[in-house]
Amino acid sequence: MAEDLGLAVGARVRISSKPGEPGDSAFIAAIYERKADPAEVARREYRVRLHLDQLQQLMELDDRVDRFAVGTRDGQSIDSALARINHVAFGFRAHKSRDVAVQSSRTFRVVERFHFAIGIITVVASAVFLLCLLLLSVEERKRDIAALRLMGISRATVVRAIVIEAAIVSLIGSVIGAGIGWIASLIVNAHFQELYRTPLVFALLTPQIFAFATGLSLVLGIGSGAAAGWRLVKSSPLALMGR
Amino acid sequence: MAGESVIACEQVVRSYPMGGANVQAVRGIDLRIARGEFAAITGPSGCGKSTLLHLLGAIDVPTSGRVLVNGRDTASLSDREATEFRLRHIGFVFQRFYLMPTLTASENVELPLAEAGMDKRARKARARELLGYVGLGDRLDHRPTQLSGGEQQRVAIARALSNEPALLLADEPTGELDAETGVRLLELFGQLHRDGRTLVFVTHDAVVARAAQRVIRLHDGRVASDTVAHMRSGA
Amino acid sequence: MRLMMAWATLRRHPARTTLAVLGIAVAAALLLDMVMLATGMSESFRSLLLTRGYQLRVSPKGTLPFDSEATIDGAGAIVRALRANPDIKAVSPTLGSTLTIDRSRIPSAFTLGLERDVQGDYTIEAGSDITHADSGTTAPLPRIVVSQTFLTRAGHAIGDTITISSGLDAQLRTSARSSRVVIGGMGRFIYVPGETPVIALDLALLRQLLGPSYRDRMSLAMAESRRGDSASVEAVRAWIATTQPRVTAISTETAIRQVEERLSYFRQLAFVLGAISLGIGFLLVATLVTLSVNERRGEIAVLRAIGTQRIGVLQQVFLEGLLLTSAGIVGGLALGLVTAQWLNGILRDFPGLPSAFDFFVWSPAAGWRALALLLTSGTLAGLLPAWRAASIPIARALREEAIG
Repeated sequence: MAEDLGLAVGARVRISSKPGEPGDSAFIAAIYERKADPAEVARREYRVRLHLDQLQQLMELDDRVDRFAVGTRDGQSIDSALARINHVAFGFRAHKSRDVAVQSSRTFRVVERFHFAIGIITVVASAVFLLCLLLLSVEERKRDIAALRLMGISRATVVRAIVIEAAIVSLIGSVIGAGIGWIASLIVNAHFQELYRTPLVFALLTPQIFAFATGLSLVLGIGSGAAAGWRLVKSSPLALMGR
Repeated sequence: MAGESVIACEQVVRSYPMGGANVQAVRGIDLRIARGEFAAITGPSGCGKSTLLHLLGAIDVPTSGRVLVNGRDTASLSDREATEFRLRHIGFVFQRFYLMPTLTASENVELPLAEAGMDKRARKARARELLGYVGLGDRLDHRPTQLSGGEQQRVAIARALSNEPALLLADEPTGELDAETGVRLLELFGQLHRDGRTLVFVTHDAVVARAAQRVIRLHDGRVASDTVAHMRSGA
Repeated sequence: MRLMMAWATLRRHPARTTLAVLGIAVAAALLLDMVMLATGMSESFRSLLLTRGYQLRVSPKGTLPFDSEATIDGAGAIVRALRANPDIKAVSPTLGSTLTIDRSRIPSAFTLGLERDVQGDYTIEAGSDITHADSGTTAPLPRIVVSQTFLTRAGHAIGDTITISSGLDAQLRTSARSSRVVIGGMGRFIYVPGETPVIALDLALLRQLLGPSYRDRMSLAMAESRRGDSASVEAVRAWIATTQPRVTAISTETAIRQVEERLSYFRQLAFVLGAISLGIGFLLVATLVTLSVNERRGEIAVLRAIGTQRIGVLQQVFLEGLLLTSAGIVGGLALGLVTAQWLNGILRDFPGLPSAFDFFVWSPAAGWRALALLLTSGTLAGLLPAWRAASIPIARALREEAIG
């Protein structure tokens, strides 16, 4: 709001509850940064904080509030405080902050599920791509494999060699991919933080994600290498040579 | 030799780079092959036989000298012209047959006809005729994997004959065949020759070479000897 | 013959061709979904807004419809003025509030006060529509329409009589005003989130319940331009802006733009993922065709030797790439529609989203767009290996094959 309206600390403004009304005059005491709340992303509304009594006066709300936030003393049970408040209060209920947070973070959870679904689809697409490429790269060398077999190298040794090679390719590929992913996440975060004016982190490459990606890539690479290798060594070397 | 020259080579040299050095595969060959001749080019491995064949077939161009096929200097042809020339005037048979494995015998023979723009019906009829000529009239719909080596080579010959070429070139045509099949194939070549075709084939086997009317022996990229063999059923 | 040969070449290696087609199908599905996502939100919102034909929304000055609790005073005069404009075909005033429900499983429900004959907020799915509040004591009870969620969560059925109230005093637990009403029907509320229990009742009745200060108020009015084209709608909007300074009028297009801005993240995501899936499809086709060409160098050299022109070889190889892409597209279309349903179901869970709003919307335009992108990608992917195949040096390739 300060950026858009060109306001700075010490600026004098008029605030009113309805358009066109004279309202009250106020000075801007501070400018604050929005917290990294996913539920707040994409909401471009401006926010103003002022003393409760001043807002009540402005809105002609007398002694009215939307809610109370209650803090318990150290050692006091939240549950018992909750029960006592609900027992004595008429017409309103107390909720644990955690329960409220669960409700209000529903937006975030929907986005999270959506991202997860997209992640599954891209993992499947990448897996098929990886399988196809490894299969092709092994088949491309069928004459080399035939030559090894003709020399007397056993099937198991040939397949082992192919699998090790596939594993190395997968590992190197994952590391490079993680590097590209990390750079991409920097760009994504920079872009969306600028766009939505939020410190929220949108993309994060954690050790767990790296381990998962590398592990999956290894499993797929080894599996496809083994499958392709066994397919080829099953054929006679002469057939592989094209005779 | 009697008859106009189908092929005329004038001081043909072909060299190409290999492993950093310049290898001269053909070193100044002069050669004429007349229409209706049946010639074999023979020699040890690496003597330049296949290279010479490629030059005669306008697949390759000489580094120096001239190769004239049907009066046309092959080096003066653009890639498009050379390809068209091969399509219309030259038939190729390869050692490994090189039939398209996904096509039937008939479809393999139709390939050059389709390229030449013949319509489907005419192509099929011509393919049937040619396969009948080479003794495979009952194998039209067989794929190469369903044919023996000799049969595959016959299909290749039928394919090479499809556009009525002036010249039939064969590179080690019996190389992949057993002796008996090889003999039968050479008998087919003999028949083609008797029917008036000009044939040149390359072989490393001197015995096979004797099936031809004329044997040109190469050694180290040059013509070492050029003799007319005595044919039992002569031209 | 070229098409036949291309198809036969692909069938030569069924495992690799199947895998490649599968890979392209997944990439195609993802691309189709992203195209649907990029265009779906605005299309869905547009059809939502235009469901009942109202192209304009009139809300309190400086606010979006139901974006705040602000209401418009002097509603009657504004509605009369709008209705007097010959370019305006219909006006539907709406007042929104929350009423408490006596002796119910749910303590309160979001309530819309509407004029039955012009309302554009719901469609009746069962039972009958709302009725006016009659002042006579012997008159039957007013009828209301509720959402399915209301019936389920409140434990009521059509025909039940309930008491709705406003002005709840939290200390004394009494209501300032209440009314007994009959649940006349169940409706599908177009603009209200599916999980929200909703009541619709006669506007006059709601104003009565909310008290004297709401006698002449409304939260929003919807207006329909008589001619309906965008120029006329804009002209009406401009007229409202000029003659009614206490309200803001926004057209469907403006509303769509504002929603798109809020949901711009998904458009950008759609663009990025769409580009990635195109890239994957491209790489797959290019790799497969390149490897296929490398395997068949001798075969291709022979084709050239027997008289096939470069262009013929190029067409041949190019067709292989195109066939792969096309097969993948067919599979991708079906897969894309299925995954779109799945993803749409996830995003529909967004709190506060109108129940009729979709993120992934199929349209022939989206399908054609995805198809065009994929075909272009497949075309380009096959071009380089095709050109390389056509440029194979015949003699060298034959020599290498002889040695090999």
